Amino acid sequence: MSLVSAIFLVFVAAVLLLYYVVPKSARIGVVILASLAFAGFLGFYTLLFVLISAILCYIGGLLSGPNKSNGARNAATIITVVINIALLCAVKYYNVLGFAADRLDMLFGAVDGANSFFKFAVPVGMSFYVLQTTGYILDCRWEKITPEKNFFKVLLFSSYFPQLMSGPMNSYANLSSQFEKAKAVKFTVGRICEGAVRVAWGFFKKLVIAERAAMPVNQIFGDHVNFTGWYVPIGVFFFAIQLYSDFSGCMDVVIGVSHMFGIELPENFNCPFFAKTVREYWRRWHITLGGWLRDYLMYPVLKSAPLIKIGDWAKAKFGKKNGKKVPTYIALFILWFAVGYWHGGLWNYVIGSGILHFFYIVLGMIFEPVSKKIRPKIGADKLYFRIFQSVRTFVLMLTGFVFFRSATVMDAVDMYAAIFRRGVALNWANFSSSGMNLANLIVLAVAVLIVFAVDAYKYRPSEDDEPRSAIAFLRSKSVVLLWAAFMVLVVATLIFGMYGLGYDSGSFIYARI
Amino acid sequence: MTREEVYDKLNEVFQDVFDDEDITVNDSTVAADVDGWDSLEHINLIVAVERCFGIKFTMGETTGLKNVGEMVDKILAHLA
Repeated sequence: MSLVSAIFLVFVAAVLLLYYVVPKSARIGVVILASLAFAGFLGFYTLLFVLISAILCYIGGLLSGPNKSNGARNAATIITVVINIALLCAVKYYNVLGFAADRLDMLFGAVDGANSFFKFAVPVGMSFYVLQTTGYILDCRWEKITPEKNFFKVLLFSSYFPQLMSGPMNSYANLSSQFEKAKAVKFTVGRICEGAVRVAWGFFKKLVIAERAAMPVNQIFGDHVNFTGWYVPIGVFFFAIQLYSDFSGCMDVVIGVSHMFGIELPENFNCPFFAKTVREYWRRWHITLGGWLRDYLMYPVLKSAPLIKIGDWAKAKFGKKNGKKVPTYIALFILWFAVGYWHGGLWNYVIGSGILHFFYIVLGMIFEPVSKKIRPKIGADKLYFRIFQSVRTFVLMLTGFVFFRSATVMDAVDMYAAIFRRGVALNWANFSSSGMNLANLIVLAVAVLIVFAVDAYKYRPSEDDEPRSAIAFLRSKSVVLLWAAFMVLVVATLIFGMYGLGYDSGSFIYARI
Repeated sequence: MTREEVYDKLNEVFQDVFDDEDITVNDSTVAADVDGWDSLEHINLIVAVERCFGIKFTMGETTGLKNVGEMVDKILAHLA
């Protein structure tokens, strides 16, 4: 079941009706049943792995909690976390194992791989809920929370249906407090309307923008023998538009649906393409993944005894200021390798969503003192420099997107090589052969400008400040205005969306991770 | 150790970690108030505080501190 489908909307409407009709004490039960039903819709293995992960999370949490010896707690934490992550790696990344994958396929009776057991067994959204449940076990061990004794609360935490496929990732402390609040939430037209606008905005981004931008992307990335030269940057530019509207649109649907239940989920995007630096970009793009990896991977690594020792050694060797950066660079490398690997376990992801960004960030840190000195001399407080910073960061992101969109590293390298090759002429006839005719281009340009305008309204210079909410703005004026926005978005999506009989709407890019 | 004594030592740690002799912190100081106190420098600060007071913060405390006041509460709790 795709989040952008009529069947999903019917499912949400049915669950919402039941949620607000039953006594308030039974609401959480409705959400648990709905979540299990949703996982079941996604496939037997998705339901199975969601249950396994929840049981592991529950047991791991209880055994990692206080009132036991530290040795027993550490053992429980390590065993359950390793099983959790190993399950993810085994199921999601078995292709990377190569040899082992062939053996496993043979074991399950598929010699040619075409009927591979694991191919069918890949559960949807596992990359998201496995990290979330791992975070729960570690929170119990680090005494950030008290282990939950009620299994069904843990089950709901790990399977909550709006966020099951693509996040946003959440901590138990946050999500469980939202579930508590939901018991008292009153049904209001305003709440449903706010959620509906957010969902419609997500549909608009996915069906009007992402699916349309995909046309030149598929053509150029699919044929860089013919589409060379300027077509390469053009293709990557359109892919940036596609990816952002796809993933952020998906989050709009998820957050909007959850809002209707009175359960607020954290934002995953905060105007990323307005970022001044690569570091800032990653604090504005897929925010909950960055936060998870910072708290559960980078901080423990940085605070570990070996890294502290390395830090002491480096300070003695290179001086205090430079020496303390050495462990930081090591931890950043581990972090970015993990980010890349998490995106798919293939080298094009490890490079394009990981190590490349590590280099950009470290280079930024190394040149920071020089840049601080130069900035006042070149008028860094002027608007042109501010625009330059965002454009530069965007271009650096595009260099990573080449790897992210390509099938393999060699494919990405060839894509770069294609910039310098001769192919079909750069003209309108060739470009529009992908289906991107003038009408489509105009619709896309207008829709992208609308998204840009909304992001410009939301934007705050500091990523720590909560962005403005366009929906809250409309709501503050009148509910009628909110309904009007909803109607405009629905009509625009119905007229300009890429869907309908015979049209195969691609699944969300991040739902495939 | 009194709260004031903790602050005397803590100010020295902040001044040393962030290389600024003018820094003085109080209960309501947060990361945004101190130039250079970002997610990467945070662990350097935590380790320096641990060494100064001879204590060990849990990972929960490391990531969950809301402001310097909370940090001082935790230091006093560990010293008690």
